[in-house]
Amino acid sequence: MSGEAYELLALLMRYVFVVIGALIVFRAARWMLRDARAYQKEIKTLPDAGLVGEMVDLTTDRAQPLPREGTIGSSRDCDIRVKGPNVLRHHARFEFEEGKGLKIIPSRRGLTVLSGVEIRKPAYALHGTQLTIGNHVLRVRLFAGLNVPLPARYPEPDAILEAAEEAVPWEGMNVDAPYWLPEEQAAQAVPFRRDQGYDGNYDEDGQMTWQHAYSMEELRQAQAEQNWIDSQAEEEEAPPAQRRRRRGRRE
Amino acid sequence: MNENKKSRPHVPGRGTLLAEMVFFFLGFFLLALKDGKWESFVLSVAVPAIIYVGTAGISHLFPSDRLLLSLTNFLCALGVLVLYRLSPSRGMSQAVNYGVGVGCMMLCAMLVRFVRNWKWLTVLIMAGSVGLLALPLLFGRETNGAKNWVSLGSYSFQPSEVVKLALLVSVSYLLSQRKPLIAIGFGGVCLLMLMLQKDLGTALLYFGVVFVLLYAATGSIPLVIGGVLGGAGAAVMGYQMFAHVKRRVAIWLNPWADTEGAGYQIVQSLIAIVNGGAWGVGLGLGNAQVIPEYYNDFIFSVILHEFGVVFGLVVLCMYLFIIIRAVMIARRSRTVFHALLATGCASMLALQTFVIIGGNIKLIPLTGVTLPFISYGGTSMLCSLCVVGLLQGVASLAKAGIQEDRELAMQGGEAP
Repeated sequence: MSGEAYELLALLMRYVFVVIGALIVFRAARWMLRDARAYQKEIKTLPDAGLVGEMVDLTTDRAQPLPREGTIGSSRDCDIRVKGPNVLRHHARFEFEEGKGLKIIPSRRGLTVLSGVEIRKPAYALHGTQLTIGNHVLRVRLFAGLNVPLPARYPEPDAILEAAEEAVPWEGMNVDAPYWLPEEQAAQAVPFRRDQGYDGNYDEDGQMTWQHAYSMEELRQAQAEQNWIDSQAEEEEAPPAQRRRRRGRRE
Repeated sequence: MNENKKSRPHVPGRGTLLAEMVFFFLGFFLLALKDGKWESFVLSVAVPAIIYVGTAGISHLFPSDRLLLSLTNFLCALGVLVLYRLSPSRGMSQAVNYGVGVGCMMLCAMLVRFVRNWKWLTVLIMAGSVGLLALPLLFGRETNGAKNWVSLGSYSFQPSEVVKLALLVSVSYLLSQRKPLIAIGFGGVCLLMLMLQKDLGTALLYFGVVFVLLYAATGSIPLVIGGVLGGAGAAVMGYQMFAHVKRRVAIWLNPWADTEGAGYQIVQSLIAIVNGGAWGVGLGLGNAQVIPEYYNDFIFSVILHEFGVVFGLVVLCMYLFIIIRAVMIARRSRTVFHALLATGCASMLALQTFVIIGGNIKLIPLTGVTLPFISYGGTSMLCSLCVVGLLQGVASLAKAGIQEDRELAMQGGEAP
């Protein structure tokens, strides 16, 4: 091709290039907007997208959505935020692992109790497990359909009571949950057997279901009992002078 | 016939892909008409074919972000076109780098998609990074004031480009595991080694990326203030310590003081941009070869010269869309690590693009970093495409997560 003809063609083509480039940018912008709208729409139809369940704070009756992984603590950047005494800014981390449950990774400084057992190393929380952080009791609720193992079945309440009496000096305390289960007992916990049943959270076939999870009413009742037990324990532990003062104030 | 048309599933971006293929077919065909070489005719078919494979082919293999692929492929192919027009041997070499880069991009995407436990991999990556950054200090050669290149026989590469990827992965992982001190320590060691190599442009990128990731992971305001003060302090220290930094700042302030000497590069770049005007001088009609480093640091000036400022804005929009898309991927990701990784990739691309384009148009002092996807260089091209590969891996995992949620919802498994 001659130089002049090429020059003419190249001068013409520069407009073509700009038009095609602008077309690509326009289409890309439209594509991005449409995609963002479609995503928002889909997220609205899937309100639990990206979540694996929720954590119900039995102390405040507040449920917080549980992402696949995150942090529990009092800081603003925590995914599960609990505020109160003895709660660190970043108290523990959690990660959901398929087929295993919610892995709780405690921090070194804070006290983290899982189903009545203080944990120092990562441990798995299952559907219905209670997690104690500071003075907050949280119940882990994992969505049904996620393949996690069933929780271990704890001994009967009488056995727990006996074990608790041996482990702690308090006498006559009403222990009705595996909250105070000593570490040795927890290690020996019998695996759950479907034919024996388990209260709440499971359907007739022993499958975990969301629908059978504890109702808020039940949780409130359990919390009221817990508060009563705590107040009794506090009363017992308080020095005599303080006890007299409290009684006087009540009268 | 109408029924067939209706039943065909709509593939988003088909028109965009077609437009890109037409653009590069016309571009290379025009050059082929000028020089009459068979390589130009081959490239006019091969480059659109690579774009097709790199966009439609990859998205058939696993769920990926087609828009990101589409824009990335356009910029890579634009680099090949511009380089081939100015220096055919470099253009051919860049086309090979582009093909290999698409493969590396897929590998990185697979790595993010299938590796579940990053703990030991991160330890290995960190150790390897420190080793790689030590190489130029021991065996490196000095180019433009910085000792950041290593030669292995006839092949030479820039370790700091490879370590960029390692930095992204390891800092994101450490921050996702709530280990900010180790992340800061690792970032600090990398920065120190870059300072010893006098590679301040890359050091600026590393600092920016670690800073953005730290803020994204912690949301701490004192950290932002500390980071800004630390960065300003390091900049002042760098200015006082290194003579070539002082020289570059002086050139930036007044390049016209020494147009034949120190300011020659930037002056030629500015003249080329002005000559190009709004619509450019036309593909194959310019003389941008007069700019030193036209194939590397000043490739954006070459684009403005031959295609014009309007087309330059189109290219800037594409970079902007890539960065916005990366941020969207970060927002949609399901885990902290993946969100931080995508945020790091977005900030890396944004900073690198800003630093080099800002240097080209005399907005900021010029630093020796490459323009992602376009600049000549195997290491730069492969690393830029690997960054996109990491983003694609995160995007594919997010898409798989949404699909899982959709299936659960269809089975009635979601919460009432």
